Amino acid sequence: MKNQRDRTARCIAALLLLLLALAVLALLNVGLGSVNISIGEIAKVLLHGGGSETGSQILWRIRLPRMIACLLLGGALALSGFLLQTFFNNPIAGPFVLGISSGAKLGVALVMVFLLGRYQSIGSVTLIITAFVGAMISMGFVLAVAHRVSSASILIVAGVMIGYICSAITDFIVTFADDASIVNLHNWSRGSFSGISWDNVRVIAVMTIATALLTFLLAKPIGAYQLGEAYAQNMGVNIKAFRVTLVLLSSVLSACVTAFAGPISFVGIAVPHLVKTLLGTSRPLVVIPACFLGGAIFCLGCDLIARTVFAPTELSISSVTALFGAPVVISLMLRRRARE
Amino acid sequence: MRRLAAALLAACLALAVCACAGGPAASAGLGNGWEPEGETPLQYATQFTVEHYQGGCRLLTLADGSRFFVVPEGEAVPEGIAADITVLQRPIGDVYLAGTAVMCLFDALDSLEAITLSGTKADGWYIENARAAMERGDILYAGKYSEPDYELILQKGCRLAVESTMILHTPDVKEKLLELGVPVLVDLSSQESHPLGRTEWIKFYGALLGREDEAAAFFNRQKQYLDETAASGDTGKTVAFFYISPAGYAVARRSGDYLTKMIELAGGRYIFTDLGDPETATSTVALEMERFYATAKDADVIIYNSTITGSQGMQSLEELLAKSELLRDFKAVQTGNVWCTNQNLYQEMTQLGTVIADLHTVLTEEDPDPSSLAFLYRLE
Repeated sequence: MKNQRDRTARCIAALLLLLLALAVLALLNVGLGSVNISIGEIAKVLLHGGGSETGSQILWRIRLPRMIACLLLGGALALSGFLLQTFFNNPIAGPFVLGISSGAKLGVALVMVFLLGRYQSIGSVTLIITAFVGAMISMGFVLAVAHRVSSASILIVAGVMIGYICSAITDFIVTFADDASIVNLHNWSRGSFSGISWDNVRVIAVMTIATALLTFLLAKPIGAYQLGEAYAQNMGVNIKAFRVTLVLLSSVLSACVTAFAGPISFVGIAVPHLVKTLLGTSRPLVVIPACFLGGAIFCLGCDLIARTVFAPTELSISSVTALFGAPVVISLMLRRRARE
Repeated sequence: MRRLAAALLAACLALAVCACAGGPAASAGLGNGWEPEGETPLQYATQFTVEHYQGGCRLLTLADGSRFFVVPEGEAVPEGIAADITVLQRPIGDVYLAGTAVMCLFDALDSLEAITLSGTKADGWYIENARAAMERGDILYAGKYSEPDYELILQKGCRLAVESTMILHTPDVKEKLLELGVPVLVDLSSQESHPLGRTEWIKFYGALLGREDEAAAFFNRQKQYLDETAASGDTGKTVAFFYISPAGYAVARRSGDYLTKMIELAGGRYIFTDLGDPETATSTVALEMERFYATAKDADVIIYNSTITGSQGMQSLEELLAKSELLRDFKAVQTGNVWCTNQNLYQEMTQLGTVIADLHTVLTEEDPDPSSLAFLYRLE
């Protein structure tokens, strides 16, 4: 009983800590940038609609949409990673292990090389939709395999193979690309939250919040699944439908991130572990919201570093997330090996 | 699965609609009933026009449909201008210049003061005045074209962003700049098929900046180089223009590309015929070494594209041969006719007549004076 109370208290404390960290980082992301805006002016702009025209534009049109998108997409990535790590029972499974980012990159490569290669101009919506469709097609192939096999390890191999196929086709397409397309495809694949608009934020919000809520509603079946497939089946979980749902939810989340910000590495792998360590539990009911918060915090912190440390030069967000995320993955692998 | 397939099909249709919707629709006239009084004569450029209106106003129209109405300093902006036309008032200033090829045009028109922000760092410029302006702090680095520092652009009150066609690959950047109220001008000079068509863009920026006489005079000087070169006719010599990529294959220019046309205007013949697809914007073609060897080994002159090599450029023939031993068999190597481009070749659009003259010198003189060449040097 006392242990139960202690665990509950720890979870509550951890969630509060995460909320506090999120609030602090959100404020820092709004308050810091390459242009110095005083706290007083920020308050005037955000609370009273006053302040200078430049300050207002920077805050409302650049920092705020970027901060919100970073928060939502970071949370989506972490959640996607948690779902796949649960599904595969593998601590280094990440959001892009099923070939999502490779499929998205293939779509973007096709547009850049064949559409732009003939002088046509396109809107950013085209690239976003293309990346999303490419990601979903990859996911479709994986789901097709999931229907036919019951082994999770075969599924992960299928995902990796599909990723390789997409990468190979992309390389083939790049062969016929001009230097501009190659450079821009490389830039796209480095990932960035730059240029996010309020229109983007609206779509991101709808997709990520809806999917995150659906994920939360699956907390109980996920908890049962963590105790074994047989146990989950006995508890009334339709394993086949459950697996498809997990893959679908995870893929929608990671496809959304890839479409709007490009592939962003390590958040999906590292954050679920950090969160579970903080909470001291793997209960999905607590881990799911905590993962979302943790991913949001991680991305906000990394994005702040990426856009301010060498301003006006912006670092690739994946470089920063990898710098902080990779040590976590390495220590996890070492700990797992030591346990075995 | 069927529902998934249907959803994907719907997404693809949406994609097609978005793609077709791209590109502005051209509209005729200013929208206020004004008629043009004249037009800037163009001899080679096809990607823009400059119409003259009353009061010294100019309507700059680009091939992508975008239009800019330039009003002279002190004049009132006319009423009723069509919504799709961006109105700019001289003096043009606070420009964010992300198209590197355009800087030389501003420099040639003595208008660097119009530029406040650059998409290239100081050490990336081979144009001395531009580098000096950045080192003095007159022009600040505002991030590269794909990831501009929007905050700095807003803080500096940027009134115009001049971008290269690279921005077509990052449409979200253009959309963001427009959202922030910064007009975007996409420089289309790279799409000119004639080399002097690119140089003739000086007339475009001359009209924008109010330096039309200077622009015309500059262009005429470059054209004179071309006329003098063309007068001497075909030298009968073949030229291979390429670089060896780090992966070990050769990258040559597409046949019909402006650089290959410059070789022909200089009296030479580009060794690769029918290379690449003329319908595409691709300017380079990666060649597998067999075809490259079979064709280029008989070229009379090699011009190595050293702009790819790095800031120092190729220093010696041995350095070039280290990239591929096959080059030793090349006729041009054996006869000592291996030349290299200077790093500033792609940043000096105003000097293409001079480049053609340099090419002609290399093709016609056995041992030209190195100081007479502005863009090429021999590799020894």
